[in-house]
Amino acid sequence: MQKHVLFENINDPKLHNIDRAIELGAYKAWEKVLKSIKREELVQMVKDSGLRGRGGAGFPTGLKWSFVPVASPKPKYLCCNADESEPGTCKDRVLMECDPHSVIEGVMIAAFAIDCHTSFFYVRGEYDLSMRRIEKAIDEAYKKGYLGKNILGTGYDLEMILHRGGGAYICGEETALLSSLEGEKGLSRIKPPFPAVSGLYACPTVVNNVETLANLPRIVINGGQWYASMGTEKSKGTRIFSVSGHVKKPGNYELELGTPLRTLIYDYAGGILDDKKLKCVIPGGSSVPVLMPDQLDTPLDFESVQAAGSMLGSGAVIVMNEDTCMVWVAEILAHFYMHESCGKCTPCRQGTGWLYEIIHRIEHGQGRAQDLDTLLDLAKNIEGNTICALGDAAATPVISTIKQFRNEYEYHIEHKKCLVKSDFRLR
Amino acid sequence: MILSNDTKSKIGEYAKKYPKVKSAILPALHYAYEEQGYLDDSMYEEIAQVLGVKFIEVAEAASFYTMFPKQKRGKYYIQVCRNISCALLGSHHLTQYLLQKLGTKLGETTKDHLFTVVEVECLGSCCSAPMMQVNDKYYENLTLAKVDQLIDEWRAAK
Amino acid sequence: MGDFNITVNGKTVPAVKGQTVLQAALAAGIDIPVFCWHPQLVPVGACRICLVEIEKFPKLQVACATPAADGMVVMTESPKVVKARQGVLEFILAHHPLDCPTCDKGGECDLQDVTFKYGLDYSRLQEPKHRNIVDENSTFDDLQIGPEIIRNQNRCIHCYRCTRIVDEACFEDDLGAYQRGYHTEILPPPHREIRNLYSGNVVEYCPVGALTNDDWRYKVRVWLTKQAKSVCTHCPDGCNLTHWTFHNKIFRATSRPNENIDRGFICDIGRYGYQQVASSDRLKQPMIKKNGELIEATWEEALNLIKTQVSELKSKLSGNAFFGLIGETSTNEEIYSFQRFLRRVIGTSHIDSRINRKRRLTFGEEVTSRAIAPDHVSYQDIDKADTFVVYASDLHSENPITALRIKRGVRYRDAKIIIINSRSTHLGVRTGATNLLHKPGTGLAVLTGIVDAAVSSTTFDKSAVGLSDQQISEFKQAHTELLLPKAAAMSGVGESDLRAVADSLVRSSNVVIFCGADFSRYPYRDEELLALDNLRRICKSAKLAVLPESSNSVGAELLGAYPNQYPGGKGSDAKSKFEDLWRGPLPDFSGKDMIGILEAINEDEIECGFIFNADPVRVFPDGNYADAVLEKLKLLVVVDSFMTETARLADVILPLSTFAETEGTRTNWEGRIQYTQSAIKPMFDSKPGCEILELLADRLGVSFGQGRPSEVYGELNKSLGDVLPVRYEMFKSEGAIYDRPKHQPKPGFNRVAYNAIPSDREYPNFLTVGNADHHRGPNTERNPSLLKFTGDPFVGLSEIDAKELMISDGDLVKVESRTGKVVGNARVIAELPGKVVFLPENFRELRPNLLMGLKEKFDHVKVTKM
Ligand SMILES: Cc1cc2nc3c(=O)[nH]c(=O)nc-3n(C[C@H](O)[C@H](O)[C@H](O)COP(=O)(O)O)c2cc1C
Ligand code: SF4
Ligand code: SF4
Ligand code: FES
Repeated sequence: MQKHVLFENINDPKLHNIDRAIELGAYKAWEKVLKSIKREELVQMVKDSGLRGRGGAGFPTGLKWSFVPVASPKPKYLCCNADESEPGTCKDRVLMECDPHSVIEGVMIAAFAIDCHTSFFYVRGEYDLSMRRIEKAIDEAYKKGYLGKNILGTGYDLEMILHRGGGAYICGEETALLSSLEGEKGLSRIKPPFPAVSGLYACPTVVNNVETLANLPRIVINGGQWYASMGTEKSKGTRIFSVSGHVKKPGNYELELGTPLRTLIYDYAGGILDDKKLKCVIPGGSSVPVLMPDQLDTPLDFESVQAAGSMLGSGAVIVMNEDTCMVWVAEILAHFYMHESCGKCTPCRQGTGWLYEIIHRIEHGQGRAQDLDTLLDLAKNIEGNTICALGDAAATPVISTIKQFRNEYEYHIEHKKCLVKSDFRLR
Repeated sequence: MILSNDTKSKIGEYAKKYPKVKSAILPALHYAYEEQGYLDDSMYEEIAQVLGVKFIEVAEAASFYTMFPKQKRGKYYIQVCRNISCALLGSHHLTQYLLQKLGTKLGETTKDHLFTVVEVECLGSCCSAPMMQVNDKYYENLTLAKVDQLIDEWRAAK
Repeated sequence: MGDFNITVNGKTVPAVKGQTVLQAALAAGIDIPVFCWHPQLVPVGACRICLVEIEKFPKLQVACATPAADGMVVMTESPKVVKARQGVLEFILAHHPLDCPTCDKGGECDLQDVTFKYGLDYSRLQEPKHRNIVDENSTFDDLQIGPEIIRNQNRCIHCYRCTRIVDEACFEDDLGAYQRGYHTEILPPPHREIRNLYSGNVVEYCPVGALTNDDWRYKVRVWLTKQAKSVCTHCPDGCNLTHWTFHNKIFRATSRPNENIDRGFICDIGRYGYQQVASSDRLKQPMIKKNGELIEATWEEALNLIKTQVSELKSKLSGNAFFGLIGETSTNEEIYSFQRFLRRVIGTSHIDSRINRKRRLTFGEEVTSRAIAPDHVSYQDIDKADTFVVYASDLHSENPITALRIKRGVRYRDAKIIIINSRSTHLGVRTGATNLLHKPGTGLAVLTGIVDAAVSSTTFDKSAVGLSDQQISEFKQAHTELLLPKAAAMSGVGESDLRAVADSLVRSSNVVIFCGADFSRYPYRDEELLALDNLRRICKSAKLAVLPESSNSVGAELLGAYPNQYPGGKGSDAKSKFEDLWRGPLPDFSGKDMIGILEAINEDEIECGFIFNADPVRVFPDGNYADAVLEKLKLLVVVDSFMTETARLADVILPLSTFAETEGTRTNWEGRIQYTQSAIKPMFDSKPGCEILELLADRLGVSFGQGRPSEVYGELNKSLGDVLPVRYEMFKSEGAIYDRPKHQPKPGFNRVAYNAIPSDREYPNFLTVGNADHHRGPNTERNPSLLKFTGDPFVGLSEIDAKELMISDGDLVKVESRTGKVVGNARVIAELPGKVVFLPENFRELRPNLLMGLKEKFDHVKVTKM
């Protein structure tokens, strides 16, 4: 079911101005937190809400905060992950462009929850408008006294620093994000130590996604129970799904978790473009396995999608029609991961390129019979053996497309051309 | 001295925000790039000096990210998204169309220094595919007619 | 044993808290392959070759970075592990050129070894291998990235050991990794080279042949070589080396990691400093001077000539007409044999090893030299200190590994460095050091000023450091000329800087003070030592280390290479003991020091001498004088490995084997005695020192029967068991620190006498000597690899002086003093303060000692453009 929590006022063209935002209720939650909620209560409230991370991994937000050693004498840091770069995903951008105040209010609340006084907003470098809107919002918030020293007379200090990325998907991975924030190349780091214990500048750090954070003001105002009343038993609340590809009405749709995939595609996104047949759907960004047409009734919640063999990931739903060559799709994705591998660990650095080269060869009519076994084995050798999940992300589309569409690969190898020729022309 | 004093002082000011100055390398690269349209070793050196970090730290970081080219590009730096959502809606043809129309090759700059066309990875505009980013600005839901119109406008504006 | 146990492959293995699975396994002798891990670097878990299976972990884990935890069950060779490891290897090998036949790493390549163990013998790669091509015409991709270092990017497995070593272990910044993903490339910063003093380490620790050096390249296959344990002789740090030899020739030196000292990282001087062994000016056989010319002779002829001449002179003159000088890079056994030969066989006490000092050896020095390291400072103390004071030393070039250890403290323990010097040095670069740059010759004022600032501070807690009001007021009365603000004005150091340093010293809980080579040569050495001792009094806990100059200066001091000191630091009362030991009469206890010897020669009191492994003409701080005086001798016997300036004056030359051909022990600055194996047999017709000294003694009628170092040490150990209780054999495994008498400080402050330096209108500049990049002392210019880093010898000028004299880089300039002149090319050095002229002491062509006058306390010079 469509339910507007985050998107409540999203169509208001002036929402990015602080005055309008305040009219519509912005910063009430922040004030409430500062004036009447104890840190522990806040953490508990978010635990109660059942909110889980919207960045990809779906980790319970309250629980993540509770790993921070608040008593530690070191400063604690909160980083908002606005590096949105997972192919198919464009939900954080909408929030930042249209409702930046909710997002930064979320950052403030999360900062409070871990006793942080310096927070960072890591925004994707290419997101120029988002960056400017957030920059303006932060500025306005400082001016209104929602940020800075002794906020609203409560004695609480909080700085927020906008940090603009330089063009690297990997910087969305939380440890790489921290490397990048420290002024280094965006290389991932081994865990443990986890950022909650030793993150930015070796201090306790929480990294949260934009959408995750944007939920917080609503939770604070309406209570954890309210939020928990939406969604399914284990997947609470709503989620923004970015529907792209072969649908009539692509766009970002906020739905209650547990809404069936079919409803999203056919009811909200208007069904398949040109009324063609659906071939498959990637339900959570390019890094997750595909779902087949017979799985359209899968409810979009963490557990059900997982049970169906995929993941909810970043909530990006990529729809492909019957004309789509899956070898071609795999080639595009393999190219992406090769281009974005940070190069720190061996399987990903070497493996992503190798996968791409083989698929590229197959797609261009040079495939060999043993290539599919090699692809699968290489992907397995990457999966689980890398520092960060980019390696897994690169292996998944390969394994998944071969599993579901082996015949297309084989046809390619045998006939040196596509079984289904995808020739999508501009209109 | 390549970077203007204004840019340098902006860099210096921004660096003050961070608990550790090295963090300001990325913002510094952005400031320098905004001013110059490309970056080179001597600018790295100046950034290193302004921030008081090592030259090599700036050089390494700059080389890692995609947004700091070492050469000047055309006035309109056209970046066509090549990734999945755009590809499903014809971005490959969009690239070909642009190259043909502008009479250039991928990555090369037209003789009049107006255009450089490249393909880039997903720009987070998947629901408005196909799309391209020109300099900082996103152009979404592209059609051939829209592209024609844009190119005409840019050519006219020079 | 351990804090807890883990199980590795079914075996119970003890582990210590903080250890990784890898460390625990390695300690138990279980091998896990690694590429990116290095014991001294922060683990990054990048290469993934060390993946292991750990129960309860869903995924394989990297052993190198996973902390061991109580009860962990680890499998290092399970099918899952082997599969993953083969996978990782396949990835690494996919684009690896496999050009093993022409790769220098072949035979000692980690990639070869691991592939040998786990590899598949086929490749599934169908596409062409990626190639990073530097030279289109070559199948190789050699890229010279530094004076010595060549990079072959295609071989690189991206373990990032090299860049991490440069950063984390050497604290330098001339190597990085650029781009990302597969394209990641190892390079120095744009338009620069990798040329830091420790650059060779990246070659040693690159697990493959991606980084090699000219030194070793294409010369010999490693499996043909033999290895010998050695200890570096280029400075007193005492790094442990391995010499790699083939057919009696050394092909390279690498580190032989010693946790107590170098931790596996050595400087380039040590790494390439073996090359001099094969230098073209090696003395190949004995020489005898006939009609003013040195001609080659046999050992028989040379020894007989010495015998005849010495006997003849001895029959006319007493032993007092003889002297002996020995260089401080000689082994303990050589030093002991040498002084025994002079005292017992020749009958003279005129013996010295401190041949480059201008000062007379005063009583003060007697006391202080006994205390070369009065507080038993060791590397371990560096690891504990929170503040370092480095006084009058270019520590980076004089003691490179000590400097590294200090920088480690700065990086990993937030320790502070305070540098007090009249020129700025590399140690100060990027270590956040406080630099107290003072006018030449005013160090005393700085030190005393700091003490004054401390004791005058209202917050100074005198009782905490055991000082009384009376002691403080005595201090003030005694030093009215050196108190603040006069100290600041005199030295040119800001008063607030002096106060800040005082404050930080007082607040530190563990200070180590180093003073170095510049210091030893200072005319006010004794006063300065007292002033440093005062500095120590204001600290809660402070140790003082006087860094000696050469690799075995401490041994020379201990084993009687000084005129008024028997081995073991024994005084005149030990005379009869040594007469018994050496079975014969000894001359008067006290003898003449270096300066006394030269004077006596000048006055014809001394007519004959033995100079062993020393080149006073080159280094004595009045080169013209030393030259002229030694020329007067009736008989000069020089025992050396090279044709030195001094050897040219000799009547008889005996060719000495070098450190590489000579077994023996040396004592580093800590007092740690370490054993060096002879790597090769004596080259040419040379002989090791102990053998030569035994031959001489025997020929002159007193045989000791101790031609071998082990025999000499046997006597040493027997006679000096109180100071040298360790048996020779024990040094072979690891060094041992000898026990020095404890230093007992007097209560209160020392009184420091101070004389202002006279200024000199005619010669307005001060001469400072030190080391050029990649050189140390007078003995390193025979190593071609080191010369590559240096460029031509130069005259260092400050920017101010250069501007005033209108001199720019490369101009030919003349440097003159009252006693001499030299000519060289100018180099403008930004860090040099005005009025200071810097000359490297490393080049024969440009000897600073030609400008030094024995009578001048300070070396004043003037510079003119030619
Ligand atoms: C390769 C890779 C890319 C990622 N990119 C993003 C991203 O762009 N935005 C994001 O919020 N999380 C991203 N993540 C997930 C983050 O690592 C992290 O889990 C998340 O920011 C945590 O926030 P959350 O708990 O609010 O979801 C990425 C993870 C990986 C492995
Ligand atoms: S998995 Fe890829 S992106 Fe992640 S650390 Fe390894 S090389 Fe870098
Ligand atoms: S050059 Fe050698 S040490 Fe450096 S990253 Fe490559 S393989 Fe490792
Ligand atoms: S040695 Fe453990 S990952 Fe390289």
